[in-house]
Amino acid sequence: MSDEAMVGIVLVSHSAALAEGTADVAGQIGGGSVVIAAAGGTDDGGIGTSIARVRRAVQRAAAGAGVVILPDLGSSVLTVRALLAEEDFADPIALADAPFVEGAVAATVAAAAGGDVKAVLQAAEEARHARKL
Amino acid sequence: MPGSCEAAITLTGDLHARPAGSLAVMAARFASVVELAVGANTADAKSVLAVMGLGATRGQRITVRAAGADAAEAVAALIGILAEATPVGG
Repeated sequence: MSDEAMVGIVLVSHSAALAEGTADVAGQIGGGSVVIAAAGGTDDGGIGTSIARVRRAVQRAAAGAGVVILPDLGSSVLTVRALLAEEDFADPIALADAPFVEGAVAATVAAAAGGDVKAVLQAAEEARHARKL
Repeated sequence: MPGSCEAAITLTGDLHARPAGSLAVMAARFASVVELAVGANTADAKSVLAVMGLGATRGQRITVRAAGADAAEAVAALIGILAEATPVGG
């Protein structure tokens, strides 16, 4: 463990409720010490994704240690990639290829334990192999 | 000094998501390999999803095993969390 900032998590979903609900669940399981920023829905609150919302979420989650972004489906990935192509963030940013809920929970726990971006990304992506039954 | 350590406790509540998270965060603080065992099933204690996947329930005996330099401390810390896990909550 170190005194340095924790890796932040950004959840990008087509639905604001899905992103926020997943952030709530992951935050509860992870003990509440990790910043989990939800970026769901379009600018007018509809179903879809918003590059502006993702940008603000990354800015909220970035505390110096880096940010791991989890997209839900399809154009969430495209929106994140478009943002990363047009903007340089000071923090290292990683985009996780992971199941949304399980990945968010695993990433949050890894970040709470003091993992770096690589460790948090790995925890998220390993979630695809976790059995729930 | 490297070593191994093991202890067991009977769960007073189901192993819900929140205590699973607490266990995984705590386990990750130790250098030792830490494993949970319930019956024939085992899980890496540092993986919250694996811990939840154990599906451990009230009344079951859960064993904490650790191997490494801080094995004894790791087992004590995890047994402490398991002892506090209550039958209520998620």
